[in-house]
Amino acid sequence: MMTYIVFILSTVFVVSFVSFSSKPSPIYGGFGLIVAGGTGCGIVLNFGGSFLGLMVFLIYLGGMLVVFGYTTAMATEPYPEAWTSNKAVLAMFITGVLAELLTACYILKEDEVEVVFKFNGAGDWVIYDTGDSGFFSEEAMGIAALYSYGTWLVVVTGWSLLIGVLVIMEVTRGN
Amino acid sequence: MNPPIFIIIMLTVISGTMIVVTTSHWLLVWIGFEMNLLAIIPILMKKYNPRAMEAATKYFLTQAAASMILMMWIIINLLHSGQWTVLKDLNPMASIMMTTALAMKLGLAPFHFWVPEVTQGISMSSGLILLTWQKIAPLSILYQISSTINPNLILTMSILSVMIGGWGGLNQTQLRKIMAYSSIAHMGWMTAIMMYSPTMMILNLTIYIIMTLTTFMLFMHNSTTTTASLSQTWNKTPLITSLILVLMMSLGGLPPLSGFIPKWMIIQELTKNELIMMPTLLAMTALLNLYFYMRLTYTTALTMFPSNNSMKMKWRFECTKKMTFLPPLVVMSTMLLPLAPMLSILD
Repeated sequence: MMTYIVFILSTVFVVSFVSFSSKPSPIYGGFGLIVAGGTGCGIVLNFGGSFLGLMVFLIYLGGMLVVFGYTTAMATEPYPEAWTSNKAVLAMFITGVLAELLTACYILKEDEVEVVFKFNGAGDWVIYDTGDSGFFSEEAMGIAALYSYGTWLVVVTGWSLLIGVLVIMEVTRGN
Repeated sequence: MNPPIFIIIMLTVISGTMIVVTTSHWLLVWIGFEMNLLAIIPILMKKYNPRAMEAATKYFLTQAAASMILMMWIIINLLHSGQWTVLKDLNPMASIMMTTALAMKLGLAPFHFWVPEVTQGISMSSGLILLTWQKIAPLSILYQISSTINPNLILTMSILSVMIGGWGGLNQTQLRKIMAYSSIAHMGWMTAIMMYSPTMMILNLTIYIIMTLTTFMLFMHNSTTTTASLSQTWNKTPLITSLILVLMMSLGGLPPLSGFIPKWMIIQELTKNELIMMPTLLAMTALLNLYFYMRLTYTTALTMFPSNNSMKMKWRFECTKKMTFLPPLVVMSTMLLPLAPMLSILD
């Protein structure tokens, strides 16, 4: 069951990447990016990273929603270009969705399927086990380690974030 | 770019590379690459024109893709070995993909297409940083994993780079593109020796950086970006005309000049390792490089190109640019060969 959930999430992940890389209008592009981010968090959750998934969803996607809001506000078009504006892209999209539906039906009917590779043995990549740590999850221990003896790592990442903002301002401010 | 921002950004470019060079943890290697990439973008876009934007975007996309591959294989290596240490031997598969990622970052042959495009789009001073400082970080990682690199992969890439660096530069008239192809060829020489004597790679890198710095600074001093405008140097700064001749010969690796040291050492080291075809091919394809360096000297120093009469009055205007580091750099990039016996300390 978990494998299928991860598989479906991965498919959505790929489709949403296609959606923003196939040059629609910025609104749909931003939307595709947010869907991709959310699905990615879902995949991380399924691999056992509940804290990481939640944090990325709240902070990273929170920031991205602001960007989404801005792009929507800045680039409002009366008829934004979507998948349906281009016949070829639409046809490919529909073909993809149909193929995915057929695969899903096949999987649900047979409970085991071999299309490109066998889903049967895919159970072992569901969770990479790093060993039990008692009462806490590994993430909580990782965070604790980051703030105790990984101080300089925090400094480096914080500096990188600051530089990220500076670079974005410098690149977008124009002449 | 205003000075405080420029200082902060340069600081990040430098510290990114320094983190990559000094760390022993794969995560910080990746972080260093990303810091460096993030901070180099505004430097590439110093002139706000569409061509520079395009170049910066191309650079960003290739480097981000390379970082992604690097991160992926760092994680796969972690899954296989359970540790993050750079110094431990890599899983062979991870080593192959990591070499590929670093080759993308360096602009080695199958991934070389971005180098001329990006260098041509940006200003001379940014090109100088791109072709010198930006090579240090990937090469230092290659140096550290040099014992686990797949020999077939790296030697194929190096031979291809030297060939493409030679052939690609042949019919170019734009100086920055010529320098980019020259850079690809030099990277080929560096990766050829990587497996056998990593120290020689560092030597080659050092001399390559000195020579490229000098060449770019000479071009910046003249404010020339094309062969045609470089051919007008003779009535402006006659001394630089002859310096360009010597410098180009040094880049090509002719004997009494600094550029000969790495070529000599690399060929010697490869023959010591019972390789005959490889150094022969390298030396022969280096002739292609020498040919286009020759063309530059032919237009600048060896002949007088036709020009209109008003151009001949250029000498009346005094040159205002002062390049403080140019004289020592010229000396270092041409006259280091007598110091070659000191290389015995590298053994």
